[in-house]
Amino acid sequence: MAESIMTPSGKTSPPSAPRYSGWIGRLAASPIYAGTIGLIANSRAVRLTILLGVPLVWIAALHIGPIYQMLRISLLENYPEAVDGQNAYTLSNYRLFFQEPLYFVPFIRTLIFAALVTLCTLVIVYPVAYYVAKVVKPRNRMRALLLLLLPFWAGELIRTFSVIMLLANRGAVNVLLRELGLIDRPIPMLYTYFSLGFGVVYLIALYMLLPLYSAIEKIPPQLVDAADDLGAGPWQRFRRVILPLSKDGIVSGCSLVYLTTVGVFAAPLLLGGPETVIFPEVIATLFHGSNDKWPEGAAFSIIMLVVSLSTVGLFMKIVGGRSVRLM
Amino acid sequence: MRHYFNDLPKTALTAGYWLFVAYLLLPLTLMMSMSFKDANFIAFPIQDWTLRWYAEVLQDRQFLDAIAYSAFIAFATTVCATVIGVWIALVVATEGIFGRAAIFALACLPAVVPGLINAISMRIFIRVIDLPTGTAAIILAHTVHAVPFVVIMALTRLRSMPKNLTDAARDLGADPFIAFVRVTIPYLMPALLGGMIFCVLTSIDDFVRTFFLGGYKPTLPMLIFAKVQGGMSPQINAMATIVLIATALIGLYAEYLTRRARK
Repeated sequence: MAESIMTPSGKTSPPSAPRYSGWIGRLAASPIYAGTIGLIANSRAVRLTILLGVPLVWIAALHIGPIYQMLRISLLENYPEAVDGQNAYTLSNYRLFFQEPLYFVPFIRTLIFAALVTLCTLVIVYPVAYYVAKVVKPRNRMRALLLLLLPFWAGELIRTFSVIMLLANRGAVNVLLRELGLIDRPIPMLYTYFSLGFGVVYLIALYMLLPLYSAIEKIPPQLVDAADDLGAGPWQRFRRVILPLSKDGIVSGCSLVYLTTVGVFAAPLLLGGPETVIFPEVIATLFHGSNDKWPEGAAFSIIMLVVSLSTVGLFMKIVGGRSVRLM
Repeated sequence: MRHYFNDLPKTALTAGYWLFVAYLLLPLTLMMSMSFKDANFIAFPIQDWTLRWYAEVLQDRQFLDAIAYSAFIAFATTVCATVIGVWIALVVATEGIFGRAAIFALACLPAVVPGLINAISMRIFIRVIDLPTGTAAIILAHTVHAVPFVVIMALTRLRSMPKNLTDAARDLGADPFIAFVRVTIPYLMPALLGGMIFCVLTSIDDFVRTFFLGGYKPTLPMLIFAKVQGGMSPQINAMATIVLIATALIGLYAEYLTRRARK
């Protein structure tokens, strides 16, 4: 652990230089290594530089750098940038967003869509998470969970593609309904909000399941028993004991699902249609088309980032979860 | 153990669980069964069965190239993300460093930024630093995406590590580097293996970053995407089935490793 680098070398001097076998032995015996390690052991500044250097540079350059560049480009008046570095900055790219319904209508649509998907996922997944965490015998719990995890290793694109098999005009559902004589012609389900929502819930249910499961599993059974003894019925036990105690899981799960849904990209390309244009597609065309408009695209991305993160922040503030657990 | 509900809610929950399992598995099962259909188009019902799509796919140069390319990117991503992730975790776990909480928050930043925004900001960034789209750009973006997860996994394990382990090594005469290689790394190993497989899977799986940062050479998801858009035949299903089984096996192994590591 890092303490090994940080603590000053031992107060008592080592009995004798230890010998190591293999490549470490050869390395430890070399004079260059001995010199370097001596330098490290003797100087706190060198130790700190080695420990901090790469992580800080990495975080500054690649975690903050891209967002910063996106912000900078979004404020540029002309793009590509002027060669002499004389850039004019403007807010007009942001103004465009509010002036043009072509842009903010899909944006509002995306926010509503993501909120609905989050709600649906919560309602669908909560009983399943509860079942695995509390009803299944501990012996079988891992197996019950693995069965749910299995589909999620299939990858985003393959799962989206699989949804097409189910919902297409000649897909399983329509063919089954026709065989049963319930319909004459296929119900168009693909390329609608239904298929998009269905597909997105299918993609992201896991992000809801894991936080909920770990939160519900931690609820002490004695509390539920106590509520039972005091005369609470099933609904009251759920409403007054289980639900409040699983709040952290609900907050994490909803935040993750919401943030993922806002930025979902493959699903609208494959499952969406002309009426279901949502904001990620709008942004993508600004970067990927023949007449790309990077400053506008950057400005819209910043708007989307700020709005989605602050929505989640607000949600956490209102519901009162402490933090988002990523895993 | 007592049951908190009388039998009706319990039955309903059990039914709900199995319905959910069916919901998760049905589309994938349909997708896989379609790969055995003896016809040139995708549609139910399946009347004749064949293995010829598999024979075709396994000789398809494009598919095999895409597998190799995706595997290479996943390998490079895993190596970079593991080194950098562990390094950041060491910083966050070290006591007495100013702003540890802030470093940790910033290290996790790419995990909360929506995927599309992440991809676009990377696309802008690589143009600013004059890196062309293609292999290096993809690896960079995948690494940025994977680092937060490695940090979290390594940190969880580091926090459970008894401090006196490295102290003991130092007292016995090991220098800081050797104590790190011989004590810290082996202790981290179970968490690292899980994290590495996680990196491999997210990299192979990634679509949106590769979409914006990729060159002309397709990765697996890009190839499947191009085939789906270019008209569908059960050949895609055969490809997807092979990829699915491979990634599911890797994922199952990762799950096994991380569960074992937590015990």
